[in-house]
Amino acid sequence: MAVSLNNIIELKDISVTFKNDGNVVKAVKNVNLKIERGDIYGIIGYSGAGKSTLVRVINLLQAPTSGTVSVAEQRLQELKPQELRQARKRVGMIFQHFNLMKSRTVLGNVEYPLLSKKISKKERREKATNLLNLVGLAKYADEYPSRLSGGQKQRVAIARALANDPDVLISDEATSALDPKTTISILQLLKKLNVELGLTIVLITHEMQVIKSICHNVAVMEDGEIIERGRVAKVFTAPQQKLTNDFIETSTNVQAAIKRITAEIDLQLAANQRLVYLNFVGNTAKEGIISGLAQKYQIDINILFANIDQIDGENVGYMISIFSGQPELINGAIKSLISADVKVRILEVGGSKGDEAANGVDYSERN
Amino acid sequence: MASIIPNVIEMKAEFVQAIFETLYMTFFSAIVSGVLGLIFGVLLVVTKPGGILADSVSYSVLDKVINLLRSIPFIILLAVISPLTQFLIGTTVGTTAALVPLIFGIFPFYARQVQNALLDVAHGVIEAAQSMGSSPMEIIFRVYLKEGLADILRVSIATVISLIGLTTMAGAIGSGGLGDIAISIGYARFENDITFVAMLIILAMVFIVQFVGDLIVKRVERY
Ligand SMILES: Nc1ncnc2c1ncn2[C@@H]1O[C@H](COP(=O)(O)OP(=O)(O)OP(=O)(O)O)[C@@H](O)[C@H]1O
Ligand SMILES: [Mg+2]
Repeated sequence: MAVSLNNIIELKDISVTFKNDGNVVKAVKNVNLKIERGDIYGIIGYSGAGKSTLVRVINLLQAPTSGTVSVAEQRLQELKPQELRQARKRVGMIFQHFNLMKSRTVLGNVEYPLLSKKISKKERREKATNLLNLVGLAKYADEYPSRLSGGQKQRVAIARALANDPDVLISDEATSALDPKTTISILQLLKKLNVELGLTIVLITHEMQVIKSICHNVAVMEDGEIIERGRVAKVFTAPQQKLTNDFIETSTNVQAAIKRITAEIDLQLAANQRLVYLNFVGNTAKEGIISGLAQKYQIDINILFANIDQIDGENVGYMISIFSGQPELINGAIKSLISADVKVRILEVGGSKGDEAANGVDYSERN
Repeated sequence: MASIIPNVIEMKAEFVQAIFETLYMTFFSAIVSGVLGLIFGVLLVVTKPGGILADSVSYSVLDKVINLLRSIPFIILLAVISPLTQFLIGTTVGTTAALVPLIFGIFPFYARQVQNALLDVAHGVIEAAQSMGSSPMEIIFRVYLKEGLADILRVSIATVISLIGLTTMAGAIGSGGLGDIAISIGYARFENDITFVAMLIILAMVFIVQFVGDLIVKRVERY
């Protein structure tokens, strides 16, 4: 089997089945996953989707029931225990609950992985101190973890995970126990490590917000399978699966806004009005396309909700608005939006009865 | 003094001897059963299904052996074990001979306590160590025993206190010590002051063990 030099991680046909007293759980089903060196790869899914089980296969903390695991051109299953332990040192891992040793100081925790290296005590101390500097915690070196905040604990865990100079860092919900502000600072730290050290990062989360802010690629997991994957910007703007769409709309507040506008606010649309959802991608977001449209087609556009996101360096905009004007003109406007690569979904048509309209007509699906 | 505890004064030499014997039995059986208990406790934790050296056969054998030994009442163990004592020590009576039943009486208890202390070490911490490429030995010594040290010390104090209690029962096989004096002299001859003073000395030993132990735990548990 040829192993590509660009892929630092290659999982092939991985399945993991747990059997507990007659209870069989297929946690991971036939997953193939390739992650490029230097990538930040997100894995998103609801609780129980099999995310943790899948990433624990990467360093064989979880032996797969079937399939092969290659990390940095090494087939891990062929290694002897001693060689496997060496290979594991090239894959750092951080966790939701930090997993620091309470009986060791901050410095002691970061020194721990270095204890098995044949280096002097002084060198070890120096290296750990440098790592603490890198994560901005040098002055807490002699504290015990119990005195630190969640964000600080995660920084210590990151410094510890870097002590073996790994090529890959696996983050299993590392920000799930943190508040939004701390989450952002930890994600920025990960981004910095990716850029400055060339660290490949595999990041598990159940929040699209996290994927959006630092990942380049994403895989969506459901029931042990990867149901969708690709560049984040692409998955975000053209999701193929309902679950993906749910995650996206939750993260952009669009879901909530649509609900609020169609259900909670008692919207009375006149016969010449349409409630429309627009999704702008990339440069189209910048062109002020909406205002041009209103003039060109002689329609009124009343914006009820708008949001612009930066996704993997691209702008993505979301808008819910009421188009008022003659139906032909509105249709013309919508067609021109679609030809400008804007996704359009009609949520409600004025004058018609709620039911059929509530389903929405998704013009863009006809493309 | 002589009027309050006349018999004790009279038997001063025997008392000093008995204190020495109790300390001797406690000390040596604590050392040996401490080592055995730690080894068995650690083995129970690492061989347990899901442990770092999971091995369900070894685990269930160890688990059953420990349970079995713990189920034998000490006073019966004293008698039942005498062939082994004869083989190991060459006699079945006396202070040194009492070490054998004391060790078998206390180490299974201690092994369980150590096991419980180590099971309290968060699974995530062990998993983190595995992810960093630590070997099973490194995990045992640098994670389990280090993280569990304060709890191990705590259960060690409780174990030594139980052990002091057991040494008094070993008087039944002529082990000597304070228990022996209290029963075979104080109780048998209705010399109540002897029984009473023996009890006070044992209580003093227990308090000292508890006090010193707590100081050590405090020093270790700075986090
Ligand atoms: N050691 C195990 N033994 C038995 N079943 C397990 C084991 N580990 C995980 N599972 C099961 O496998 C499935 C996937 O679990 P996993 O922890 O991988 O999900 P997850 O996507 O990480 O979820 P979460 O977001 O809650 O962490 C679940 O149904 C879980 O109960
Ligand atoms: Mg998980």
